[in-house]
Amino acid sequence: MTTPKYFSSIARFYRERKRLPSYREMLKLTGFRSTNAVYRLVERFRQADLLTKDAAGKLIPGKRFRELRILGTVEAGWPSPAEEELIDTIGLEDWLIHNREATYMLKVSGDSMIDAGIRPGDMLLVERGRTPKEGDVVIAEVDQQWTLKYFQKRGRQTILVAANKKYSPIIPQDELNIAAVVTAVIRKYHT
Amino acid sequence: MKPLSFSRAILHIDGDAFFASCEQARDPALRGKPVITGKERGIAASMSYEAKARGVTRAMALWEIKKLCPDAIILPSDYETYSMLSQRLFSIVRRYTHEVEEYGVDECFADITGYDRPFKKNYTEITKHIQETLRQELGFTFSVGLAPNKVLAKLASKWKKPYGLTVVPETGIAPFLENLPVEKIWGIGGQTAARLARYGIQTALQFARAREDWVKQALERPFHDIWQELNGALVMPLFLEEKTFYGSIQKFKTFTPPSKDPNFIFSQLSKNIENACIKLRRYNQATPRAIFILRTQSFNHSVMEMPFARPTNLPPEILSVARAAFQKIFRKNTLYRATGFTTFNLVPNVLQPDLFLASGKIEKLQKMYASSDKIAAKYGKHSLFLGTSWKAHQFGAHLTERGHEPERKNELFLGESKRKRLGIPMLMGEGI
Repeated sequence: MTTPKYFSSIARFYRERKRLPSYREMLKLTGFRSTNAVYRLVERFRQADLLTKDAAGKLIPGKRFRELRILGTVEAGWPSPAEEELIDTIGLEDWLIHNREATYMLKVSGDSMIDAGIRPGDMLLVERGRTPKEGDVVIAEVDQQWTLKYFQKRGRQTILVAANKKYSPIIPQDELNIAAVVTAVIRKYHT
Repeated sequence: MKPLSFSRAILHIDGDAFFASCEQARDPALRGKPVITGKERGIAASMSYEAKARGVTRAMALWEIKKLCPDAIILPSDYETYSMLSQRLFSIVRRYTHEVEEYGVDECFADITGYDRPFKKNYTEITKHIQETLRQELGFTFSVGLAPNKVLAKLASKWKKPYGLTVVPETGIAPFLENLPVEKIWGIGGQTAARLARYGIQTALQFARAREDWVKQALERPFHDIWQELNGALVMPLFLEEKTFYGSIQKFKTFTPPSKDPNFIFSQLSKNIENACIKLRRYNQATPRAIFILRTQSFNHSVMEMPFARPTNLPPEILSVARAAFQKIFRKNTLYRATGFTTFNLVPNVLQPDLFLASGKIEKLQKMYASSDKIAAKYGKHSLFLGTSWKAHQFGAHLTERGHEPERKNELFLGESKRKRLGIPMLMGEGI
């Protein structure tokens, strides 16, 4: 038996008899051989505010005793992550993706962003329709191909810069089509 | 300027060459070129505007397209990606109004009546905004009609394509309908147009101006509805519910090359049966009877309708009946190119205890298929299939174009498989 299970058997006893078990009864409930072990368990519960003692020195339910029962965790055991506690968590997908309808993925094939830590085979999540800011990594359309570069301004001129010395910056002659802004890079090592 | 008057503001949003545009949007190398989808079927399912300009039409055979337009880029359909983008179309429109009717994979109706105040924009501006958001986030264009009802909105979206925005306010209906042939109206086919021509009605406006008592007396009910909408009333509501119950489910698949082999042809039929049953089980429905169809190379159809012992959605129960039907309609030394399986009069799926039939056996089958569906949810459709479908699964449907699957199916990330991929469309092409 684990500590939460000891507590739930004590809580069940309390619910049925409207009082806490004596040390002798706890011995039976827990299956411990010595009252000393029971005493140590009770001390742990007291520190956790699950049990406390009244003026006469008798054990009574502590502050958190009721709280746990209200949450419905007593039957299941220790304060396990109750639904109420999970309301404020988000899934990985929601964390990664801001605008679902505008998000696409692509697989990196070249090494133009290698110094930014973006390697061939990496997955990129990109968002269409987002206005790029200085320093964003973007997907631009150049000569009927996608290209992956930093979006930078030189004065009024927009330039596309690789994170790799092998490639020189692209200075677009006419209109530059930025198709999407990279919002995340994902590299998965194991299935 | 006086604001345009709309008692109701209904949109029809229609994808411009939807499938071909999905392809062009993800690979810039295809931009500006004649792109055709439908390679696996041997006919054009969708063609880009560049291909349309060269005279390529829907359902044109690929050999004909190659003659007409030798530089055409012909791609196998990637329905998985098209469906994802279709869902995105509906989701984006639902940001503006919850009253959206998903009318087809690439089109929908939307009711934006009353949203001019909260958006602080007039209806035309809202429409423009939706159209622009779709272009930015999906990467290709839609044509939109704004009108007081569905019939007029659908006509308006077709008025100017691609990337058209046509507004037909109540006061502008007559000039809009004036030169429009009556058969362009949604719901009026060739036969009805011929009937109307006998009364001297050739344009939409002539039909709209016909006397109501004559329309009611001479034509059927749906045409009276259309007549009323042409005159500006809204009588056809938007269907907002997602489909949760089907009246019929049909699976019809062609294969190439055509075959004379009864085992192969039956395996195609068997696969169609399994596919239909997957859908029946998903909606917890069952079919009391079904039609089995074989199509020959020369487009003749042999058809057989058969009832089942009880309404079912389990392939083994259907298969014995299918075998009997197949034996009756299959002809030796005939080339077949498609099989079909149609279910109808569908009912909710309930297991009725039957004193005479072994309902225990059926219960076992149901449990087995419940497990099979769970396996499919985890590992992909057709992870388990019947031995009778084996030959159909072995080669895919189209032997001649084998090896030319949608590119996405071969461009996999770690943890993806040919059966299951991430549900996010992928940008493709060289140079990334």
